[in-house]
Amino acid sequence: MAAKAKPVPQVALGLEPGPFHDRLVAHNRQQAWMNWMGYASPSVLDTVEFEYFAIRNQSTLFDISPMCKYAITGPDAESVVNRLVTRDIRKLKPGRVAYCIWCDEDGNVVDDGTVFRLSETEFRLCCQEPQLSWLEDIGWGFDVQISDVTRDIAGLALQGPTSCALLKDLGLAGIETLKPFGIAGFEIGGAAVTISRTGFTGDLGYELWMEPGDALKVWDALMPAGKLRGLRVIGYEALEMARIEAGFLLPKVDFLSAQTVLRADRANTPYELGLEWLVALDKPHFNGRRALVDLSKQTPRRKLVAIEIERDKPAHNALVYHKKTREVGQVTSALWSPTCKRNIAYAWLEAPYGQSVTDNLWVEIYLQKEIRWQRRMARCHLVAKPFFVHPRRTATPPADY
Amino acid sequence: MSGRYDAIIIGAGHNGLVGAAVLARKGKKVLVLEARDHVGGMLGDASFRVAPLPYALRPEIARMLQLDQKRLHGAKPVETLAFGSDGPPLRIIGGQVTGTDAITEHDYAILHARLGRQARALGVMMLQSPPGLGKASLGEMAGLAKMALKMRLLGKTEMRDLLRIILSNAWDLLNDEIGDGPLAGALAMDATLGGAMGPRSPGTVLTLLYRMASQSSHGHGLRVMPEGGPDALVKALSDCVTSAGGEIRTGVAVEKILVDQDRAAGVRLQSGEEIAAPLVLSNASPKTTLLTLLGVEHLDGEFIRRCRNMASKGMVSRLDFDIAQMPSLRSGGKIEQGQRLVFAPTMQAIEASFNAAKYGDLPERPVFEATYDTTAKRLCVTAQFTPHDLKGGWTDDAKSALASSVMAALEEALPGLSSAVTASRVMSPVDIETGYGASGGHWHHGELRVDQLLMLRPFDGAAQYRMPVKGLYLCGAGAHPGGDISGAPGFNAARAALRDGGH
Ligand SMILES: Cc1cc2nc3c(=O)[nH]c(=O)nc-3n(C[C@H](O)[C@H](O)[C@H](O)COP(=O)(O)OP(=O)(O)OC[C@H]3O[C@@H](n4cnc5c(N)ncnc54)[C@H](O)[C@@H]3O)c2cc1C
Repeated sequence: MAAKAKPVPQVALGLEPGPFHDRLVAHNRQQAWMNWMGYASPSVLDTVEFEYFAIRNQSTLFDISPMCKYAITGPDAESVVNRLVTRDIRKLKPGRVAYCIWCDEDGNVVDDGTVFRLSETEFRLCCQEPQLSWLEDIGWGFDVQISDVTRDIAGLALQGPTSCALLKDLGLAGIETLKPFGIAGFEIGGAAVTISRTGFTGDLGYELWMEPGDALKVWDALMPAGKLRGLRVIGYEALEMARIEAGFLLPKVDFLSAQTVLRADRANTPYELGLEWLVALDKPHFNGRRALVDLSKQTPRRKLVAIEIERDKPAHNALVYHKKTREVGQVTSALWSPTCKRNIAYAWLEAPYGQSVTDNLWVEIYLQKEIRWQRRMARCHLVAKPFFVHPRRTATPPADY
Repeated sequence: MSGRYDAIIIGAGHNGLVGAAVLARKGKKVLVLEARDHVGGMLGDASFRVAPLPYALRPEIARMLQLDQKRLHGAKPVETLAFGSDGPPLRIIGGQVTGTDAITEHDYAILHARLGRQARALGVMMLQSPPGLGKASLGEMAGLAKMALKMRLLGKTEMRDLLRIILSNAWDLLNDEIGDGPLAGALAMDATLGGAMGPRSPGTVLTLLYRMASQSSHGHGLRVMPEGGPDALVKALSDCVTSAGGEIRTGVAVEKILVDQDRAAGVRLQSGEEIAAPLVLSNASPKTTLLTLLGVEHLDGEFIRRCRNMASKGMVSRLDFDIAQMPSLRSGGKIEQGQRLVFAPTMQAIEASFNAAKYGDLPERPVFEATYDTTAKRLCVTAQFTPHDLKGGWTDDAKSALASSVMAALEEALPGLSSAVTASRVMSPVDIETGYGASGGHWHHGELRVDQLLMLRPFDGAAQYRMPVKGLYLCGAGAHPGGDISGAPGFNAARAALRDGGH
């Protein structure tokens, strides 16, 4: 896309320009900015539909620099990360990434994120919420250095079926051999770039990490190379559609961090979130382990489930009923999935609904037709996550699209 | 892991000994491991004793351990001499004071009786596991119910009064009731001794009640020295352990608490020797036990943060002066064996010395209590508000500065004293920390204040003696109900362990 719009150097929102800001401005026809950790982040640059379909059919660039990033290094780094997260991080080899959650002492989830193991003694944690004081508490008494490197590293998510081909076009030798959750070093536009085969879309895709000073150089190399591959800059809204399809949960939307809730019962355990597969109770002590051992033996109070809804209207903020009468839960994320052609959502259901009672569930959807509101009860069914699964996400080497 | 012992007690402080005795008398095979070359902890070193005045052993514990109660509690109550800035000292025994005016005598008797009733209600909780913050067991509920009942029995007015004063300060209460002076000074000293609080700090009425509740063998606030002194008490406790089949080893420091499958499994000594036992009670302070002996790798981050943040800044130093010939009091007469001397002429003086300590300085005129041992010919001084974190550190100069200022105050009441001193020693909070493993060198192994009491003692999440690693218990002064030579934490911890099945 040739950027003809006049660059607007300043965003008058009190937000900080990120490392790619000068280029984002040029592409942002809507000038729709949102606040992501103090950075100006585009919610949509042009048209959300185009941006979304580019994720599933072409290639997309999304600036992930605002993501919180922490370096955890030193002789005890492995012990500290293993103490932090519920997975057994000793099994994570250097050059690999793992999706993780971490819990407080009551076994409630503090946040989720990805752990990059850069070497035996160097880890990087990427997550949504600021964690420095939490990490310092977890690391206290260990031989480890913990630092916030959020602003030291620029990140770009390059996602979509043509992303591998695009990188190959740029001459990244061997990129096609990088397996999902693998990390490798490359050069783009003369700048050193660490690439991980990770992402938030459930599609073939990569995340590119570089020094902020190299950000524009890398961008300027990617954009022309992407011309033939349909590369498009996207904003948060399109990504949000893809992440729901991909089965990922979003803090602040689907669940709240135990650190931020005001009402103690609003925090959630891994068992409630359906993330028990991430909890390795058999490893040495980690934060919240004793509470999690107890919780693992109990029926969760409620459960976050994936549902598919009959008919086509998305169930935003809908209440869920049993037998159309008894209120048993509510929807957190909802979407008419353009790729799956299914009406999908995540919903919290109070026990025993969604656990031993799974039938005769209904969502209450409000529709506005020419000012008048209508209420519609639509039947819903529990289904497995993710909604969108495609072999190209994991195929190595990926096919040339 | 199988071993010769059912339980290991880390530390032979009086609480460790009481805990060991309770377990041994229930047929448990116990081993007490003490780092120092003597038993009794702060009470036990006859050459320079940290805690010279063991008045507070709970009579219930003496009874249940079948100690010789007549020897322990049979003596006549100790007389306190409260020195003002001039003239003869006031003489206090329980609710009786002489040497002041008739109105003050009367007001003091009434105040003392009232505080005593409230202290008794609080005292019920001393030998109870504090209730949990989450779910309480039947036994805990019973303890709470008993306290509630005692409180109800106080009557409406006194109940309201108790609730009113519990967060209030000793300064206001005593000023209202008896006015400032040596009498108020002596009471405010009881309220603040060992803590990092001045009489004006909130919660000091509560600490006064606590102290009164812990000296109730003859009725509240009456102090009694065991016959034969501290050494006799220490011997009675260690004999109680050994005669029930328990073993005590001294000169062996525990380096690590061993954990297997998230359960306590024994200990490793500094020598490298490992000793297995399914039950470990620690008499060391909570911070030492958890952060050093157990290790942070077994604990959650939030728990560690609360443990690190636990207030435990020691404020008290001990000074011994060898004095062969004790001079007479300025007002005439001699000091007698067993008398407790309090040098806190006013609450104002206590508050002023606290102000200095708050900011890491030594007070110009420290406030202190003292006794003269006529056999050892030694004056034992316990000086308040000498901060652990002294600016410039506890150098020899700092110690001699403290000794001089204490001596200057003593000299006023006992003219000629300083020239009669043949030798002196100073033990700072830092020395106590190093010597006994009590973090901060703190009197109670951790500040005794409203947010570190009962179900919050030693800190939120660590109450009720049971630690997160199963089979590990806190049995020292850091646990409920706190320090002084009361035996209560050791007793309660052992009973909690027995209730849990003994392992
Ligand atoms: C200056 C001062 C004066 C005091 N005066 C009085 C007083 O006059 N009257 C009174 O009632 N109270 C007094 N106290 C308070 C009283 O001394 C304490 O509250 C009491 O000693 C606590 O008893 P304990 O058994 O819990 O612990 P401690 O007496 O501290 O005993 C703990 C024992 O554990 C041992 N230990 C620690 N770590 C290890 C390890 N790793 N391995 C093996 N052993 C270990 C220590 O060596 C020590 O012997 C005073 C306190 C201070 C600081």
